Amino acid sequence: MNIKSAQSSSYRDRTHEFSSITERLRKSLSSSNAVAGVNSIGGVSGGGLTKAEGSRSTIAFQSEFNKRASKIGYGIHHTSQKLAKLAKLAKRTSVFDDPTKEIQELTAVIKQDITALNSAVVDLQLICNSQNESDSVSSDTSTHSTTVVDNLKNRLMSTTKEFKDVLTMRTENLKVHENRRQLFSATTSKETANPFVRQRPLANKSTASSSNSPPPWANDSSSSSPLFQRKHADTESQPLIQQQNQQQQMVPLQDSYMQSRAEALHNVESTIHELGSIFTQLATMVSQQGELAIRIDENMEDTLANVEGAQGQLMRYLNSISSNRWLMIKIFFVLIAFLMIFLFFVA
Amino acid sequence: MKITALLVLKCDSRSDGSDPVILANATDVSHFGYFQRVTVKQFIVFVGRTVAKRTPPDQRHSVQHEEYKVHSYNRNGLCVVGFMDDHYPVRSAFSVLNKVMDEYQKCFGDSWRTIQADSTQPWPYLNDALTKFQDPGEADKLLKIQRELDETKIILHKTIDSVLERGEKLDSLVEKSSDLSAASQMFYKQAKKTNQCCTIL
Repeated sequence: MNIKSAQSSSYRDRTHEFSSITERLRKSLSSSNAVAGVNSIGGVSGGGLTKAEGSRSTIAFQSEFNKRASKIGYGIHHTSQKLAKLAKLAKRTSVFDDPTKEIQELTAVIKQDITALNSAVVDLQLICNSQNESDSVSSDTSTHSTTVVDNLKNRLMSTTKEFKDVLTMRTENLKVHENRRQLFSATTSKETANPFVRQRPLANKSTASSSNSPPPWANDSSSSSPLFQRKHADTESQPLIQQQNQQQQMVPLQDSYMQSRAEALHNVESTIHELGSIFTQLATMVSQQGELAIRIDENMEDTLANVEGAQGQLMRYLNSISSNRWLMIKIFFVLIAFLMIFLFFVA
Repeated sequence: MKITALLVLKCDSRSDGSDPVILANATDVSHFGYFQRVTVKQFIVFVGRTVAKRTPPDQRHSVQHEEYKVHSYNRNGLCVVGFMDDHYPVRSAFSVLNKVMDEYQKCFGDSWRTIQADSTQPWPYLNDALTKFQDPGEADKLLKIQRELDETKIILHKTIDSVLERGEKLDSLVEKSSDLSAASQMFYKQAKKTNQCCTIL
């Protein structure tokens, strides 16, 4: 133990120890091919390079393993970044400038990445297993490698799950946009009287519905109500100008008529269901409150009993106060005693 | 939500056909200016004839004409046309037309097939129907049921709110009554104590 007693005595220099041990181990390694000691020393020194010939293969295994694991981790990180970008894209899609192509490209890329990463993780696991089966590793190394593989697998799984969520969100968004588009492309067979649909010449409707719907949708939020009222005022003059504006569109309505009836029936049925559930909830609440009422009742009875008892006590007290003859005698005695004492002292 | 006119016409199913013949006519043009009313009536007649001519038998059609929706239902050559505004639900419109058609057939049987010229006599049922069915709920039972169910739901919601309030009040009552019973117990104990303690004095 060389303790440097010079300026800084806060550390101990054990370099000699270290070099002696490595010498010793090198000799023992070449005979017994044990890796554990080297590895642990490598860990202790934090980067000490030991090149024992017999241990090269297992070290190579280990570093190969580490390299692959780090590559996979890197790949997973990249994929999750791309996934975040995809999620942002999917969330912000509006009806009009839909970056469908980009989204699809990105989706394909991410899918490829995920499959590649999957296969890489499987390979890694195989390596880890084969390594563990060879006897020349310590239990620490094997647990370490299995932990690493499990960690990578978990991360990959979470990435895949996020990917799936993003895809479902995208399909929902698409559905919502479809609905909205249907709502705003004003074909005549629509029941939902949408006051925001401007009354334009419907002859162009089928061809230009997509180009019609954006302007009404975008512009009408500000100008819809004055427009609508103006239209109403114009109705009176317009029947006279019919020839110029006559627009007619025959829409086959049989199907939608039946469908609308079916839909209405469904609505009625579901409303009735809801009403039923509301009633049951109501019943539950009322019964719960009934229990509260019972509790209140008990409390009041308790109070009544207590007050009656107290009243009885006070009556007894009153009686004992008001009619105690013995009390009078006692007072008399006390007075006479005082008189006696007084007389004694004076006379 | 307004019905402006109801027309019953006889449609020939021949494609070269003459214009359909009007069998009954009821219009409500009160919201037009006085001098426009006649023109509007003529216009209604014309459009009604055109639409009825173009409605194939046993089919329902809806045509958007300026601010009106013109609904027509052709059954076996008897065609009922209704002029409604855009807010009037389409389904109710067709149930109105159905009702009018059934009523007409009940009243007049098949005699309408022989009529060749526009009949100008008013049919009181049609006028009544026009006023009655201004509210789509009258014609369409489903709509009425839906409306009543919605009202019931609102009432139930209010009921549940008031039951919740009642619950809160009951809660406060429970607390007060338990306080009261505790206080009365203390009172009783005090009374007993004053009674037990000084029997001498």
